[in-house]
Amino acid sequence: MYNRKIRGPLVEGNKTLSQISKEILSPMETAPGLWWYITFGISSIAAIFGFYAIFITVSRGIGTWGVNNSVGWGWEIVNFVWWIGIGHAGTAFSIFLLILRQRWRTSINRAAEAMTVIAVMMAALFPALHMGRVWLAFYIFPYPNTRGPLWVNFNSPLFWDFIAITAYLLISFSFWYLGMLPDFATIRDRTKSKIKKAIYGFFGMGWTGSGRHWIRFESLSFILGGIAAVLVVSVHSIVSTDFAVGIEPGWHTTLFPPYFVVGAIFSGFAMVMTLMVIVRKIYKLTDYITDNHMDAIARILVFISLIMGTAYSTEIFIAWYSGNEYEMFTFFRNRITGDFTIQFWGMIFCNALIPQLFWFRKVRRSWIGLLAVSLLINLGMWFERFNIVVTSLSKDFLPSNWVSYNPTYIEIGVYLGTLGLFTAGILLFFRYIPIMAVSEVKSVVNIGSKNDD
Amino acid sequence: MKKAYKIGIYDDEEMFISSIKSLQHKEFKIYDVFTPYPVHEVFHLLKLKSRLPTAAYFFGLFAIIAVLAFLYYTSVINWPIVYGGKPFNSFPSFIVVTIVITIFTVTIASLAAFSARSKLIPGRDNTIFDHRATDDKFVIVVNTDTLDDSGSDQIEALMKEQGAVEVLDKEFENVIA
Repeated sequence: MYNRKIRGPLVEGNKTLSQISKEILSPMETAPGLWWYITFGISSIAAIFGFYAIFITVSRGIGTWGVNNSVGWGWEIVNFVWWIGIGHAGTAFSIFLLILRQRWRTSINRAAEAMTVIAVMMAALFPALHMGRVWLAFYIFPYPNTRGPLWVNFNSPLFWDFIAITAYLLISFSFWYLGMLPDFATIRDRTKSKIKKAIYGFFGMGWTGSGRHWIRFESLSFILGGIAAVLVVSVHSIVSTDFAVGIEPGWHTTLFPPYFVVGAIFSGFAMVMTLMVIVRKIYKLTDYITDNHMDAIARILVFISLIMGTAYSTEIFIAWYSGNEYEMFTFFRNRITGDFTIQFWGMIFCNALIPQLFWFRKVRRSWIGLLAVSLLINLGMWFERFNIVVTSLSKDFLPSNWVSYNPTYIEIGVYLGTLGLFTAGILLFFRYIPIMAVSEVKSVVNIGSKNDD
Repeated sequence: MKKAYKIGIYDDEEMFISSIKSLQHKEFKIYDVFTPYPVHEVFHLLKLKSRLPTAAYFFGLFAIIAVLAFLYYTSVINWPIVYGGKPFNSFPSFIVVTIVITIFTVTIASLAAFSARSKLIPGRDNTIFDHRATDDKFVIVVNTDTLDDSGSDQIEALMKEQGAVEVLDKEFENVIA
């Protein structure tokens, strides 16, 4: 039940249906502005640098990275977890809000899902590179082989991680693509260009919008949504068990799965917000992504930020309460004070404190406020992963193992490369795929006004 | 053989629905309807049902059994290895793999079922009765082959009466749908 009187219309400006198709599809039909080419150019340069770094990594080995015997997981795992976290937003956004029947998701879910698909692809790159010999990556598949057959270890979180991420990528993509079918058909039927008609007609799979199509489409969306919701929660729980089954101080805790899942949704929502602020500004789609939409995301962020704050305090409290000297050392001598204070306090500041600004309506309604806070959250989430991965590894039980860790330019290059590829991917998405689910926006245009649900 | 269709086009969802009701009241058989977004009332009126949830349940059941059987085979029968003193059939740690692969199988199998059942396949050219149905129009299609002229005139009158902006007569050779 959507109360239009209290919450305002989901789409402003009394649009007609054809106006909606026209306005949402306009970024695809008009030539992109200069900003598009400039940003695409910059991100391509970053991507090329990334490819160079990957080339060096693959051809010379991971000895070109700053990782060593103690800190075996450096920037790569930090970035892997960071990207996977961002990749949670799309599905969390569109699926949780779908099964909770939150209709305001309609104008944002497509972009969030696009972000998910691209971010998960970026994430998958890191563990693959970390294997060292990427060309043997297929060894992780449990296939009948000539070595016995010797199977992979089905009890290992690292294997769980592999299947979870592969499944997550494919399922997110399927869900994203399924939602695009009606929109591709709309483009096919509206366009005058023959090439476009052929291309979008091919990918539109012959969608006609018949009643039979729609009922199956809706029921399939709910099936995929319902089961993928389980997957969203399980993927990052599994990522967290990569750490939690290790006995390193700071890792060996049962708090990790919920802490990671909530953190992932936090960083993902922040990235959705960053993206939406930019889309609204550039494409002037404020009638579709209204202030109320941004307000709703900001409220979710402030709520999750409180959970993050609680998780951070719980970790510290348990370290003290357990009386375990290694845990105490990691938290009090290595994070709160010591070598990694910048990362620790950066994390607390960006994730637990800064989002509290969203309690103020003025911040929730100003695009600079939204953009700044969402970017800081993403920075904070990066610090969080750095904290977990590097601080624990750099000083473990034996002082003889203690080392410092600094990334090499190759590691930084891979990260920059993924940032560039991600941005380029998002830009291509803006250009060639409808940024909003046109048919879904049409279905909510009159919501709450007449005898609608 | 060419088949003749009466195609009613509506601007408004409510007029479209009341038109379906009155056509059904006069016992005309509606061939199909086309809408720019899902209209739930239409599903009830045309008694459309999807059996995908049932199918998905069985896909899931099959996947769970298949995955657990595979894990049992690899870890107990084919090449048993002791990992950290745990039993060969360490069921609790098999759960994660089972859940993920089950979800994956259900997704792929449901998509395939959807695609096959709705005949939505890349590159397929399903017959489009009116191009505007994916943009902003609501379309009702009635097959008029079995009806005499007075019958199809009656349909046209009914559609117009209920607020159709246009009523078209079209013929299609082979309808692909």
